[in-house]
Amino acid sequence: MSYNFEELTYSEAKDLLRQWRENNERRSEDVMELWTTVLSDDLSKLGNEKHLVLEQVIYAALDCHSYGVATMCIYILSNEFPGSMRVMRHKAALLEAEEKYDEALEVLDSIIKADETNSAARKRRVAILKAQGLISEAIKELVDYLKKFMSDVEAWQELCSLYLQVQEYSRAAFCAEELILHQPHNHLMHQRLADIRYTMGGVENMELAKTYYCQALKLNPENMRALLGLFLVTNNLLNHYKSAGNSSKRKEVWKLCQWAQSSAARRQRAARALPPTPDLSQMMLALAITD
Amino acid sequence: MSVAKVTKDNNKSEPVAYSDAALRNNAVVVEYCRTSMAALSGSTAGVLGLTGLYGFAFYVFAVVSLWVMFMVKTGPNWNKYYVSRQSLLTNGFFGALFTYVLFWTFIYGMVHVY
Amino acid sequence: MAELLLDPKIRLWVFLPIVIITFLVGIVRHYVSIILSSQKKIELLQVQDSQVMIRARLLRENGKYIPRQSFAMRRHWFNNEETGYFKVQKRAAASQNPMTDPGMMTDMLKGNVTNVLPMIVIGGWINWMFSGFLTTKVPFPLTLRFKPMLQRGVELAYLDASWVSSASWYFLNVFGLRTIYALVLGENNAADQSKIMQEQMSGAAMAMPQDPKAAFKAEWEALEITEHRWAVANAEIDVLSILDDHQHEPQQ
Repeated sequence: MSYNFEELTYSEAKDLLRQWRENNERRSEDVMELWTTVLSDDLSKLGNEKHLVLEQVIYAALDCHSYGVATMCIYILSNEFPGSMRVMRHKAALLEAEEKYDEALEVLDSIIKADETNSAARKRRVAILKAQGLISEAIKELVDYLKKFMSDVEAWQELCSLYLQVQEYSRAAFCAEELILHQPHNHLMHQRLADIRYTMGGVENMELAKTYYCQALKLNPENMRALLGLFLVTNNLLNHYKSAGNSSKRKEVWKLCQWAQSSAARRQRAARALPPTPDLSQMMLALAITD
Repeated sequence: MSVAKVTKDNNKSEPVAYSDAALRNNAVVVEYCRTSMAALSGSTAGVLGLTGLYGFAFYVFAVVSLWVMFMVKTGPNWNKYYVSRQSLLTNGFFGALFTYVLFWTFIYGMVHVY
Repeated sequence: MAELLLDPKIRLWVFLPIVIITFLVGIVRHYVSIILSSQKKIELLQVQDSQVMIRARLLRENGKYIPRQSFAMRRHWFNNEETGYFKVQKRAAASQNPMTDPGMMTDMLKGNVTNVLPMIVIGGWINWMFSGFLTTKVPFPLTLRFKPMLQRGVELAYLDASWVSSASWYFLNVFGLRTIYALVLGENNAADQSKIMQEQMSGAAMAMPQDPKAAFKAEWEALEITEHRWAVANAEIDVLSILDDHQHEPQQ
């Protein structure tokens, strides 16, 4: 979907921005273009939405590295709301984007000092540490945060990926389980836990990974990654049970493996009408350890 | 009017899981319709000058026809949107009745009493 | 009984104005309370407590989706005799007198200013301004029991019960317009004063801040008796049964 921004009237541009805001669409470049072509001439015409639009533009500008525009918007906002925490946060975001991390941290610290329960500022601190590459410090900070805000799904998710970065798999698995507790019907959460368990290795973890891949597939049969994961896990288990001589388990896993392969092939056939891709079942066969 | 689709993960033996936010949104929309229905039908009853039991019968008629409209709108797979059809009919019956009586009295007073 | 005739001017100058005034006062109250409402300053400890409670509840409800060992580990962390969270965290039993907390006092005062005061002032004004009118007749017969309710301010012993006096018409509007406010202003609006009146009936108990100590104890008990039944265990069989369906489909 593309728009010809030159031809949009003022109210159309406003509606478009509102639509993006409500649907959580970032579209930073489009927002910037709208801002420069249509909106920036006359701010007063925005009416009620002026401040919301300004915020939207600030983040779009930061995404596009046009710090001048962001500075101007923040200036307008801070003139109207002196001492507002929200505007302070935008300032911190600007400093952060300009890689002035220490100053950004100072601003954030002053926000936290004024309002202890400001969770967004605390999370930004973690993000700054992460941006600087100080993963272990970021983890420490985030763990501290989670001690206070225990049911913050986003934070658990971030901690999970941070732990994965430093290869602390069992802790990452803990976070993934926490995510499942919060969103038990989201197939991606189950798939994530299975991924981690598979990476950890060992028969027990493989069995768990198998179960959670199955759960993910049950919740969403279209989940290709889970299908592939299931295939790899079952292959691995087959190998193990073959050498351990556990025939009944082997048979079960064999069935699952076959199923994964055949449904992947079916999906492949269904997708064949689309542009050609390398044959997936061939690739899976190449990956297979046993047959 | 938007009826949010309730996410459903189905399996023959498994219990169906409903999305809480979608259910709440549906309830809000239904409540909106019900209040509008009560106000409109109350005004209609007032203009027509219905009195006594006829007025209450008209209210029951309005509630049932609203329910039928919901059913037509959702089509055969209503259980995608609501947990139960019965509660869709009976929920908020008396709350809306109060609105209905107010509008009925108001319009009746405006048109027929003086 | 002879039919009463009402002056049409009553309709224009009493009946309609009451409806309009009640409605507009509700709207104004909504916006005034938005202006007056103060962002409640929350303590960090309070946030922490509520988040812990949410997490414990989720563990109880959704614990069946994680492996038994992980569930036991989390429960141990919450409930362990020596180091468990619910055992270690000591919260003061919060049952102080709300009068000692000035912040709470202002909140209560603000609530009264926006809710009770207009109710009394407007109600009194309507009573004084439009007193003694019969405004309308409900279109259905009523028993004598309703007379004091519907004919406040008009003490006529032989009047049919379905006639409504001006003061009563005001109160009917106050209660009946509630759903209309929900329609016009959206859910959870502040215009709905009948809800506030209900709250004031049972007020004292609800205004009390929730007591974290008791809540922790209750959650501890609930968690203690939770049994872990792994819901994911059957996933493989279920997935395979989907397989069977798919295989049979083309043949049918």
